[in-house]
This record gives sequence, C-alpha cells and structure tokens, in this order.
Amino acid sequence: MSGFSDRTYFVCAVFVYGVSAAYSIFLLRRDLRQDTRLNYILLLTAFAFHTIAMVLRGYSLDRCPIHNLYEATKFAAWTMSAICLVIGLWPRLRFLGAFAAPLLFAIGVFALLTPADMGSPEHPEFRGGWLTLHVAMFALAYGAFGLSAAAGLMYLTQERDLKMHKVRAFLSFLPPMQRLEVVLRSLLLAGFVLLTGALIVSAIFMHQQGRPLTADFKIMWSFFVWALYLGLLLMRWKLWRGGRRFAWGSVAVFAFVLLTFWGSSLLSPIHRP
Amino acid sequence: MDVVVVGLSHHSSPVTVREKFALGEARIPAVLQLLRDSGIADEAVILSTCNRVEIYAATSLEPRQACAEIQNFLVRIHDYRDPITDELYKHTGQDAVEHLFKVASGLDSMVLGETEILGQLKKAYDLALQHQHTGGRLNKAFQRAFNVAKHIRTDTNIQRGSISVASVAVELAEKIFDSLNQRRVMVIGAGETSEKAARALLSRGAQSVIVSNRSHERAVTLAAELGGRAVPFDEWAREFAEIDIIISSTSAPHYVLDRARLEPLMKLRKNRALLLIDIAVPRDIEPEINFMEDVYLYNIDDLQAIAANYLRQRQDEIARCEAIIRDKAQGLLAAGRRTPMGNDTKPAYGHE
Repeated sequence: MSGFSDRTYFVCAVFVYGVSAAYSIFLLRRDLRQDTRLNYILLLTAFAFHTIAMVLRGYSLDRCPIHNLYEATKFAAWTMSAICLVIGLWPRLRFLGAFAAPLLFAIGVFALLTPADMGSPEHPEFRGGWLTLHVAMFALAYGAFGLSAAAGLMYLTQERDLKMHKVRAFLSFLPPMQRLEVVLRSLLLAGFVLLTGALIVSAIFMHQQGRPLTADFKIMWSFFVWALYLGLLLMRWKLWRGGRRFAWGSVAVFAFVLLTFWGSSLLSPIHRP
Repeated sequence: MDVVVVGLSHHSSPVTVREKFALGEARIPAVLQLLRDSGIADEAVILSTCNRVEIYAATSLEPRQACAEIQNFLVRIHDYRDPITDELYKHTGQDAVEHLFKVASGLDSMVLGETEILGQLKKAYDLALQHQHTGGRLNKAFQRAFNVAKHIRTDTNIQRGSISVASVAVELAEKIFDSLNQRRVMVIGAGETSEKAARALLSRGAQSVIVSNRSHERAVTLAAELGGRAVPFDEWAREFAEIDIIISSTSAPHYVLDRARLEPLMKLRKNRALLLIDIAVPRDIEPEINFMEDVYLYNIDDLQAIAANYLRQRQDEIARCEAIIRDKAQGLLAAGRRTPMGNDTKPAYGHE
C-alpha cells in the first residue's frame, strides 16, 4: 500500500479524530447550530486512516489484529467510528459524531501512549479463533457502550437546554429527546448483548482450560461491568420511564470503564500487557 | 411601458380604511376590465388580502400620471369620500418591482417572512391571467417575483424559526417528542391563544384534543371545532394518564396545577415526558413543576422570548434580502430594456 507502517496510519487517524474533537468544541460554542457535514467528513477521513491501519496490521500479522490491548482498543475505537458514520447518515442524528469525536480521540491517544502494543499475549494456550471472537465481541461491546455514552451526553445537553428554556434548545440541530433516548437505549442494549456473548465465550474458554473464572481479576471486573449495565437496563425497564437518569447512568458507567480498564488489565495475570 | 403599483397596506393605513378598499375575488375581474378599458393600464393584477389592497399595472402613461389616475380609479370604484393623505402609496419603475418582490417574499408582511402572502399573490396573478389582463411585462415581473421569493426562502434565514406563540409551542413539542402523530393534547381554559396552539399541534399531526373549561358549553363548542371532546372542568385530571401536551389558559387567580397534585399524576402516566404550556396570566401552573423529571414547563414569557429571538434573527436578515431583491429587480429591468415585451400570457410561475 505504501512505505508507512500501520502505526503511522493510526497516528494520522488519531490526529484527524483530534481535529474533529476540536471542531466539535467549536460546534458546541456555536450553540450546536453549525452544520455537521464538515465534522462528518473529518470522521470519515479518520475512519479511512484507521481502516488502513487495521488492514495493514492484519496483513502483516496474518490474523485478525485484536490480540492485545493496543489492538483491542484500536478495534473498539474503529467500531465506534463505524457506527457513528452509519448513524450519521441520518442528518438529524449526525451530531452524535460531534459528541463521540473527543471520546475517539481520547481512546486513540490512550492506545498510542500506553506500552500496550507488545505483540500477542505470552500465553500460547490463549491463541486462535476463541481469542479472536472473545476480543472482537468485547471491543464491539465497548464501542457500543462508548457511543451510548455519547448519545447520553447529547440527551443531557438537550434536556438541560430545554429545562432552562435556553434558545439553544430550539436553534441546535440536535434530534428530539425521545429519539435520542431510543438511540441511547438501542446502543446500550446492543453493547450488553455483545458483552454477555463475550463473557459466555470467556467462561467456556476458561472452563476448557480448567481455570476458575474467579482466578482472574479482569474477568471479575468484566462481570462487574456487565452487572452495572444489567442494573441500568433493569432500572430503565422497571423504574425510570424518563431518560435523564438512564443517560446519566450510561455516561457514568462508561466513565468507570474508561478509568478502570487499564488498571484492571494490569491486575490480571492473563490480560496484563 | 412602465410597471407601477398603487395600494394600501397595514403599513400605511388602519383596518378601518383598508376594509373600505377591499375587493372580493368575484369582483376583481370586472374591476380589472374597467381599469384596462379606462386606458390607464395595459396590463393589471389586483391583490386584495386582509392586510393590503394593491393594483399592479403596466402602463403606457407617464408613471406619475398613471399612479394618480389609478388612485382616482380606486377612490371612484369604492366611492371613498374621505380625504386621502398618506393612506395610499405609489411606486414606479424599479421601486415598483422591488415592492412586488418584497411582498412576494413576505418582507412587507405584518408577520415578517410569512409565506401565506406568496400563495395569495399567485392566486391574484392567476385570476388576472385567466381573464387575460396580464401581458409580457407583468408576466415577467410576477414570474421573477415568485422566483425571488423561492430564492430568499432557501438562501436566507428570513423564514427560519417560529415567531408566534402557537408555532413556538409546536416547535417545542417537536424538540421533545419523536413525532406528534401519537400525541394527545389537552386544552385547559378555552382562550384564543390556546386554541391557536392546539390547532397548530393538530395541523402537525397530533392525535386528539381534549378541552376542559369552566364554562362547559364553551368547552363543547371548541372541542367540536377542533374535532376533539370536552370534559368537565373538575374532571380534567382523570384524563391525565393519556395526555402528552397540556395548554393551559384559564383565568383562575391561583394555580390550577401544582407540584403536589402533579407528582401522583405523573406516576399514573408512568413518567412519560409531559409538555406543559402555560399561557395564562396570572399563571396556571406552579413554576416549581419544571424541576420535576420528564416535565417541561414553558410560560407565556418563555414562549414570547423565543419568538422574539427568532424575529430578531429574521430582522438581521432583512438587509441581505433587500440586497438580493435590488439586484434581481435591476436584472429584470435591464433584461426588459434589452428585449421588447411581447404579448406573452403563459403562466408565470413554474419556469423562469
């Protein structure tokens, strides 16, 4: 394709995510009234670089490039970016990109700055199709949770503006509250199903290896995150008909995931990079 | 041949004068015929709405003389006997064309940027065209006016946003609910503004309206007009579980709805989002309610502030619109000088 490495392309992608994040701040300062087409083009450009980086790495390693924390983080961001672009095909939902861009930039920087890119794990028993499926499902789940948090932020912004009678609520291109709530709930549900699948795969895999699930901190952490999301969905279903607490919940749980993801990996003998 | 316009509008005269010059649609063809037979105008279009009566004419006379004669004609056919001072305005040449473009674009309307006038202008032009009172000059002018109106609507913000309380209420509902199709509206207190807001919501697809008023007869009448149903005033809360939007405008001296009363009602409706529009003075709904989750409360001041903001935005656009109009009017007149006008009586809009 060219003389550049996959990492160079990923750096380019992260740089463009950064430009998109800066532009998103500009959009917020303009009361979300500016057309989001430019931001969509920026995300599309970043996504193109990101895809090239993924493909190059896959070809160079001759496997799906999701075998360590760097690759999994990169894949999660790629998933988020792809979903964002698909959702952005509907003009009234395109602002999701503006809320997701800072998150994509942060995840990209995290992936680049941490010494996580160490090749494949040192455990030969953890190679093969199971591992690919396990990491892919986790990455997709966290991608969906990340976007649900972005949708939650959009919801909270619009709700606050409407409550405070701000003119911005009328002038902005944000979609109606009910539609935002549907997007938020759908993404969270999709993430939860994927996370459940990923945990089932992990449980089967660990069982085959004869290891107890409780032996690994990261697995227990993942079950805890799963329980948090289950609680959030149950509360939404049974108690909260409105969206505000649900939106706060999606943002808070994903913030917890972001803040503890790295630490939980360090405490896990299997997942430690 | 010059284009002139003589008329009166809400800018120049009160309704007491305008109503004396109004022309019903049935009478217009005969008046146009009379005007052309008198030799004042070779082509003519009469626009008569509640806010204006105007005669657009293409004339071979000297423009000022033509204007004076059209004014006399208007006074004569209406048998108007009071002295005329500034009630009637007259425009000639480029001013006349610019005035036509402004009227078509809603820049001369009472509600700045409104679009209803464009439909009325098209209808007035159609009527004159059908009776063969237009020709090359007015056809070109009206054709360009309709195009300029479209250009201004799409390329400027003159028509953006809602500048009436009723339309702000609709916009607000559309910011909360995904669609208005399944929404049920309740009107408490059958005032004029609440009626307008309910009509606006229905026109955007709201499913049904329930009306409740202290005078039940009035509630029944309004409900019949809106295609909804009436409920006795002390029973409106029973309907609450199914309601999404409440428009309140009673003349009660106290709150009709307060937080203590709403909280149990919200549980009944499983905390679905609720939009409360309080257009009563004194207010019907306790302001504290806005702090409740899933409840959005707007009073008359909030709605008017939003409408005023939109209006300011529209006013900021006026200079831009006027520049477009000036440019287009000059273009039309320059083209007219280059190409002699034939007796083109083809419909003016739909093609340039």
